[in-house]
Amino acid sequence: MRAFRRCVLFFVILILMLYGLSQIVNVLVKSGSDLIQSRNKSIAGIQNEKEDSVDVLVLGDSESYTSVSTVKLWNQYGTAAYIGGQAGQNIQETYYMLRTALQNQSPKIVVLETNVLFREQKGVKGIQEGLIQKANYYFPIFRYHDFWKPVLFGKEYAEESFKGFMLRETVESYKGGEYMKETKEKDRISEMVKHYMDEILELCKEKEVSFFLYSAPSPVNYNYRRHNALKEYAREIGVPYEDLNLKAKKIGIDWEMDTMDRGDHLNLAGADKVTEYLGRIWKETFDLPDRREDPEYSQWQKEAREYTQRAEYKLQRMHK
Amino acid sequence: MAYHKPTYLFLFLPILLLIYQIAPRKFRRGVLLGAGYLFFWSISGKLVLYLIGTTIFTHYIGICLELQESRKKKRLVLAGGVLLLLGVLGYLKYYNFFAENISRMLEAAGSGMIIPARHLLLPIGISFYTLQAISYIADVYWKKIPAEKNLMKLALFLGFFPQIMEGPISTYGQTAEAIFRCDPLRLENLSSGAVRILWGLFKKIVIADRLYTLVQAVFDNHENFGGVIVFIAATAYTAQLYMEFSGCIDIVIGSARMFGVKLPENFRQPFASRNAAEFWRRWHITLGEWFKAYVFFPVSVSGPVKKWNRYGRKKFGKYITKAGASAMALFPVWLGNGLWHGARWSYIFFGMYYFAVLMAGIMAEPVRNKIIKTLHINEDASWFKALQIGKTWIIIIIGEMFFRANGLRAGIQMFQSMFGRPSGNLMTLGLDTADYVVILYGCAVVGLVGILRERNLLDGHMLRNLKLPVRWAIYYGLILAVLIFGAYGVGYQQVDLIYAGF
Repeated sequence: MRAFRRCVLFFVILILMLYGLSQIVNVLVKSGSDLIQSRNKSIAGIQNEKEDSVDVLVLGDSESYTSVSTVKLWNQYGTAAYIGGQAGQNIQETYYMLRTALQNQSPKIVVLETNVLFREQKGVKGIQEGLIQKANYYFPIFRYHDFWKPVLFGKEYAEESFKGFMLRETVESYKGGEYMKETKEKDRISEMVKHYMDEILELCKEKEVSFFLYSAPSPVNYNYRRHNALKEYAREIGVPYEDLNLKAKKIGIDWEMDTMDRGDHLNLAGADKVTEYLGRIWKETFDLPDRREDPEYSQWQKEAREYTQRAEYKLQRMHK
Repeated sequence: MAYHKPTYLFLFLPILLLIYQIAPRKFRRGVLLGAGYLFFWSISGKLVLYLIGTTIFTHYIGICLELQESRKKKRLVLAGGVLLLLGVLGYLKYYNFFAENISRMLEAAGSGMIIPARHLLLPIGISFYTLQAISYIADVYWKKIPAEKNLMKLALFLGFFPQIMEGPISTYGQTAEAIFRCDPLRLENLSSGAVRILWGLFKKIVIADRLYTLVQAVFDNHENFGGVIVFIAATAYTAQLYMEFSGCIDIVIGSARMFGVKLPENFRQPFASRNAAEFWRRWHITLGEWFKAYVFFPVSVSGPVKKWNRYGRKKFGKYITKAGASAMALFPVWLGNGLWHGARWSYIFFGMYYFAVLMAGIMAEPVRNKIIKTLHINEDASWFKALQIGKTWIIIIIGEMFFRANGLRAGIQMFQSMFGRPSGNLMTLGLDTADYVVILYGCAVVGLVGILRERNLLDGHMLRNLKLPVRWAIYYGLILAVLIFGAYGVGYQQVDLIYAGF
């Protein structure tokens, strides 16, 4: 019995240590984004946003942060949006990103770029990823365990972004032609992904947040089989879905100029076009407020103005 | 589900411990066997059938050996059993290698014949469990152990989950009894096992996985580097391999310890070795012992070697005869050692490299002894020991460089470039100052522990005898070191276990 009590005490002290260290890294996370590695910037960033200031939260992998421009959304519709996307984000990360964001935000809509739904995450790998993300969520020391590098060695991870959106001006054309060839076949969305999607939808329902799915134009990642699967799945879970791969022409995507890596991701010009289209839908469907005149958003406005200038300059350079 | 992954450490192992403890003693073997197959299946899927097939085959070969009375028939059964086990291993592991090389030779000879390559899936750990199966058959043949009548017991010996992926390769006599005993869990075993696991994680996640970045940067682009950078990369790989393999073995031994099973050690401060032969008695010990027991000794007492000894003594004298006999016994050992690691010329070269080094040592021994005697060198003097250890390090580092290089040609090029103009910068190899500091401190800690062990100043009992606060401080320190300084998560690559690939 004495040994058992000692064992319990050992683990209690360990948990307290992890908790204490997590509190310390949380303070560091809030002290500056340059101390955080690139992939963690979006999750750290949403924690640092002013409480209840974000109306649209965009989640997903790199397709999300290269297709929605928070600058454009602000300038054109006055929408306060934040991109919580991460390179190669998997569904477990999406779920915990959302849980983290909802700790101090009450967005009107959560938008998910669908490429993340095709990262299978099945079997042991899926269980492991869930375990890792859970640990990261409850004890942020796991996620930010490298905090000692900036603290002791002054290492910084400088990166400029506006609410999770970075200006990507590279142009590398896509020349593969039509890629959405109609078929009745459909891809498979794994059970593990569906399980986490259920959790995400439950969380949104609980917090009274609307949910929206979209597929960014990307010949590398999308085809008609995926479209069929997503259309059916969106119907199944009862959420609106926009496949912009079928509307690339309507939106005005020019595959010569609007992609940065031969059809994998959109660049700044492509993101502007997608955002203009999606922003209108969101504004009309979800009755999003225009925050541009709101004094609470003066800092947001200031940052957006600076970023807009840079965005315009880069757009001009791209079209030269 | 590798041994250092969260699914193993925080799900598989704790759940298994719980089920094992709850289960009545008579079912515990079944629990461990089920866990072994589940673990194997989680990595290799349906290839678990190979393990099951090997087990059934080995079981019946063992019984057959015991039933046979005629020595000749016994030999036939033994040969058949070993050949079939090696045949499966050889076919899966080496078929494509030999097919490719034979096709090249045929092409060079002007024949248009090509032996097509095949898509063969290699079950994880096949090189480990096959050697265990062979050792079991041979030990039954030599009557060191009786044949196991209970198939489940043999299945558990070959499929004991901590050993499946990376060894250590144990003989039936070494571990079977402890595995079958299925003692209840004891706090003492749990805590010492957990500490051993933590120590392994420290070596693997803090040091080895960090070194991986540097090693990969240089070895995968070796043509861009020269001089001391190549030597540093070769040294870094040697350190990575040691930290990773010995770290993984620590996790394996710690896991088995939790269930009350003491597995054989695989490393004993190899970098304190004074020559290459001693190094191989301290590095991957169980593989070395396997080759010694099942290749070296049988060849040493085989007909051809005996004949040579008689013939050589008459014709060439003692020195040449000894060298010849050593060569005859060592050659298959080192060819086997090289091939065991995989189907690549660089692995064969690695084996032959050590064959040459060891033969050079044997042949130079009389001259060496004479020099030492003439110069009145005290072999136990610290400076002499340091010199010998330094020489052994260089031999090891060069060997490991060929072992890691992307092919034999790349290995030769890297070896040459080591003596060429220095090119490359340590700060552009993916590691920053902070990483180098962690690596140096980490290696210093491992080195210090190694020195204390070498001088018998540290063992598991000592840790247990420390006062509770000191002991706990060490445990917490290790946990936090792995947690904070570990090369995992964002900014680091996931590194698979190197030896699991063999």
